[in-house]
Amino acid sequence: MGRLLALTILALGLAGCKANPAGKVETKTMTFAKHHIFVGNKSQTNPLPSNADTWADGKEAFSHYCVACHGADGQNTGVPFADHISPPIPLLNSKEVQSYTDGQLKWILDNGISPSGMPGSKGTLSDDELWSIIVYLRRLPPAGSQGVPDIYTH
Amino acid sequence: MRAGIMGRGILVGIMVAGIFPVYVAKAQAAPRRIEITAKRFAFEPGEITLKKGQPVVLVLNSKDAAHGLRFRELNVDIKVGANGTKEVQFTPDKVGDFVGHCSVFCGSGHGGMTLTLHVVD
Repeated sequence: MGRLLALTILALGLAGCKANPAGKVETKTMTFAKHHIFVGNKSQTNPLPSNADTWADGKEAFSHYCVACHGADGQNTGVPFADHISPPIPLLNSKEVQSYTDGQLKWILDNGISPSGMPGSKGTLSDDELWSIIVYLRRLPPAGSQGVPDIYTH
Repeated sequence: MRAGIMGRGILVGIMVAGIFPVYVAKAQAAPRRIEITAKRFAFEPGEITLKKGQPVVLVLNSKDAAHGLRFRELNVDIKVGANGTKEVQFTPDKVGDFVGHCSVFCGSGHGGMTLTLHVVD
């Protein structure tokens, strides 16, 4: 009897651990909450101009750290686990991401979005690099054009 | 006779004209050299004061990994390999405080690796 009870509790516990993809309502609610409640710094503007130099700087800075999850193109190219985690890694050229202000993107890069898996980069990358990454994010290259990140080709 | 004096005068003039620039060049002071050590995750010194319009040579010495030092507003970017030395000469052309960052990704504290230049009149 005791064993049966323990097995039942274990089975219920394991069932509770199962992760299902978020439904439409859950996704919309979370997207709204992130854009309007959780992610701050809405009004800060990018101190860097958007030009070829800052874009190239952003592309380089993006390649140090971000490529592991987002691919070199910001569209998950070559990232083996991109479709296997929940919540899924967003395409950085998607409306969900692009509708953040520059200030909000900086906030996300600084602090991350817990518990999505997106880590904060404050201290790991400089402010200058983070702002240049935002320049890069606003004009991402075509999907697949940057190949597979080196870390996944060896 | 007169032609001889004139010839000698011209010769002396040419010699003086040839030697004078050497003295002028020697009279100019060599640019100030500033040694900077880069080591995960700090520069030493962390602050330097310079005079506007005065040329300087920044010498960057790495004591471990590859590092860089970039002042975007001053158009200065030095990159140095692991345990290497690299130098760059520049003349600050604006007054103010400028924060330079390590420009070669060097690890988890890379983003906080800064050096401040105070450029004064």
